[in-house]
Amino acid sequence: MRERFLTGYNDFVLPFVVGMLFVLTYCLVGLIRIIAQLPASDRKRFFLSLVTPKTMVKNVKDIFLKCLIHVDLWKRNKLLGYMHSSIAFGWFMLIVVGHIEVFLYTSHLGAKALYYPIFFRYFVAETESTMKGALIFFLMDFFLLVVLSGIVLAIIKRVRSRFFGMRRTTNPSFLDLIGLYSLWSIFPLRLLAESFTADISGGSFLTKSLNYVFTEFLSNHANMLPAWWAYSCALGIFFCVLPFTRYMHIPAEILLIPLRNAGIRIVNARKGFARAQVYSCPSCGLCIDACPMGVMKGNIRDTTVYLNRQIRRKNEPRIEEISDKCLLCGKCTAVCPVGVEGDKLRIAQRSTRRYNFGPDYSNIDTKLQSERCNKFVKKINNNVSRTDNERVLYFAGCMTALTPVIRKTTESVLTKAGVDYEMMDRDGGICCGRPMFMAGRFAQADELVAKNTEIIMNSGADVLLLSCPICYKIFRERYTLPGIEIIHHTEYFERLISDGRLKMRKSSTKYVFHDPCELGRGCGVYEQPRNVIAAAGEVVEAARNRKESICCGGSLGSLTLGFDKRRAMTENALSNLVAASPDRIVTACPLCLDTFARYSDRPVEDIAQVVDRASGYGKIS
Amino acid sequence: MKENIVIIGGGIAGLEVAVQLLDLGYKPIVIEKRDRLGGHVADWNLLFPDMIPARDVVGNLIARASEANIFLNTEISFVNKLKDSYNIMLSNGISINTRIIVMTTGFALFDAAKKEEYGYGVYDQVMTNKDLEHWFNTGDDKRVNDSAMNAVGFVHCVGSRDEKARNPQCSKVCCITAIKQAIELKQRFPEAMVYCFYMDLRMFGKKYEDFYINAQRDYGIRFIRGRVSEVSENIDGRVIVKAEDTLSGKPVKVTLDLLVLMAGIICNTDSTRLANMVSLPIDSDGFLKSRDNVAEIIESPRDGIFYAGACTGPKTVPETLAEARAAALKVHLFIKGLK
Repeated sequence: MRERFLTGYNDFVLPFVVGMLFVLTYCLVGLIRIIAQLPASDRKRFFLSLVTPKTMVKNVKDIFLKCLIHVDLWKRNKLLGYMHSSIAFGWFMLIVVGHIEVFLYTSHLGAKALYYPIFFRYFVAETESTMKGALIFFLMDFFLLVVLSGIVLAIIKRVRSRFFGMRRTTNPSFLDLIGLYSLWSIFPLRLLAESFTADISGGSFLTKSLNYVFTEFLSNHANMLPAWWAYSCALGIFFCVLPFTRYMHIPAEILLIPLRNAGIRIVNARKGFARAQVYSCPSCGLCIDACPMGVMKGNIRDTTVYLNRQIRRKNEPRIEEISDKCLLCGKCTAVCPVGVEGDKLRIAQRSTRRYNFGPDYSNIDTKLQSERCNKFVKKINNNVSRTDNERVLYFAGCMTALTPVIRKTTESVLTKAGVDYEMMDRDGGICCGRPMFMAGRFAQADELVAKNTEIIMNSGADVLLLSCPICYKIFRERYTLPGIEIIHHTEYFERLISDGRLKMRKSSTKYVFHDPCELGRGCGVYEQPRNVIAAAGEVVEAARNRKESICCGGSLGSLTLGFDKRRAMTENALSNLVAASPDRIVTACPLCLDTFARYSDRPVEDIAQVVDRASGYGKIS
Repeated sequence: MKENIVIIGGGIAGLEVAVQLLDLGYKPIVIEKRDRLGGHVADWNLLFPDMIPARDVVGNLIARASEANIFLNTEISFVNKLKDSYNIMLSNGISINTRIIVMTTGFALFDAAKKEEYGYGVYDQVMTNKDLEHWFNTGDDKRVNDSAMNAVGFVHCVGSRDEKARNPQCSKVCCITAIKQAIELKQRFPEAMVYCFYMDLRMFGKKYEDFYINAQRDYGIRFIRGRVSEVSENIDGRVIVKAEDTLSGKPVKVTLDLLVLMAGIICNTDSTRLANMVSLPIDSDGFLKSRDNVAEIIESPRDGIFYAGACTGPKTVPETLAEARAAALKVHLFIKGLK
């Protein structure tokens, strides 16, 4: 190989160099700001994770699999996965192989190192000895073809997103469109530019063939320079607009992954980790189809992708509207390919609101409650021999108080299984704090948490049983109850059945299980309820289930949605559930039960009702 | 006269239409899905405000309508729209060609079990207004224990004026029914405390306000303004009701031997099904839609189809009877106009 020009420079590299330097500076400043915004303890943890071998390996693996290969998208839709990985991985390989070429064939680069790997074909010509480069020529053409195939798919996706398993896609902003078109044009222009130089600098099946086929045009070297200019300009424009478009997700995700792997959580609504998440949003719009509010084409502009966009634009009224409206079902988080936590971003957003006054819970007296549910304590004091069974404290919660059948049947099941239990809130209790937490009022939530913690710790119980997943989630995440197992009734029933303490009779009834948001996506409990129902009858599945279960529409999460708006959501969720024509719909959340029962055409039950009906007295002493 | 007139529904509205048409010399056909005439009113014991027996009202109507063609235990299988008439296929295999249909399909009571927080179907000592009337009529209900009736509660607006229950409008007659039933219970159990939990009381009808004053002054019935928040059951099976007394601003908690839920009025699903068969529109409140809600409440948007009674919305007995008479007159004029 030999250099074609002594200077190794042409003015056309300028747009690219300017764009490149701009975007690198922008990302570097952004990186420093985000890290500086992290709380000191998180920052320390982040730096430590960067030098811990285990997280180092995980970071590299995650960045490779997520940013380049897009494994999550492959799982969702093969075509969508191929489109993204062909562009990302193909482009990455072009850059890598380009650098290898530069490393192999040139020396003493200096400032030229900035643009040589990109415009190598223009500056370096082929000589007799280039057969060694044949493999590299082939690779460069091959990966260019890969990227081009991705671009073709991207253009098709713009027109027909349905082919890619997406019903709706994001409406791009003006700058997004500029970024999009410049990105699309980069690779065809590169092909054109390299085809011009293929007879000088060499090429492979793509560029060389093109050069031969269109000899008349492509061999005229007078046309060469405009093509290289256009290629450089496309790159320059893309890099200059990148920080202000959705393509910011490319550099941001590389930061987000190590941050997440370091175990960092959102603290500030706009800074640090939250900011990294917002910038990592690729505006792919998968959350639009996922959002339960999207039925009847409504509320599309209130999905997480638009929240991220408005946060970047600092459009405060819209940010507030979007944050307050959300049901916090967490489905956007579950489907997000980069891991933007739409629900947590919104809760953080809500927490920034200042209230002139708030409820004061400090005067709630826990003494009376503690006395009511301390039957276990007396046993310990009186030296009553400990039973083999665990001492269970059952906290029904306020939603269960409104659906008394759950409490009644749960108590009945506990009695049948011979469980030594006590109700924590038989005659009224204190809220678990989750609704306050969802409203972003953490201080109030923590006050309630403290009150309940006191009662539970004084009760002498060693298992805390919950029948409401809304309570369950906050008990797991925000309560510190040393020595006490926190368990949801679906899990506890499964244990009773598998331990043989509860005898079940199987019937031929077909049940479908609705995964409540807080239990499934919120706490990761999917198998236990199905196992329990399988002991009582036949389990059929909803069209979308488990991680992709559709919110019943009754969620406490939304601060602004009225009943009229929620109805369509509930009906949509119901039609999803009855896909396999079950006889009965089973759920494990009092709120889902109440919401579905209002609109369902067939019986809706809590899992406790199913177990109570199917179980007999079969205690094993 | 040969003209076929089909009255769908053998409640008091349908019977009154039949009576009036018989008086006018027609021979109407009454179709009733149940095995007896009289509809909801026949399930009731006494009617407000003068406490006349419902049995007398219904009995009188049935006696006067006996000349009509009455089909009991009969449902409408389907309706075919012909050029300017309808072909109605009945479940007993008979088919009728008619130009005139009077819809007297009435209402349905809200299923109180859907308001699960009130514990109907979950707790033993919870019943509905209809269950209570049944007990008045038959004395047969194990929920009413003659020897232990110390406290009774009535919950107003169960499944009416309740957006959550899909029924935002007022059922009109339950306020006065609750007061009537409270008085009747108090008459039978003078020692019992009787509470009414209400949002507000709509005493719109003739002598209703007097009735309400009576209930407070003469019977000592306690009216508590506030919705019941939650109902639970104590160990001996009595129900514990928690509510907020919004007038005193304090929470109240009472233990009751019996809780009566005033289930609201909703549109009968059979009405909706029939309306679909003859393409009648449904109004935004879920009831059948009239041509005009002020001047033409008994006329449907389709020629030859008329309404009477609670199929267009909650109504009292006198209102229903008045509408039935008006509908009969409309039918008569319709036939005359065509002749």
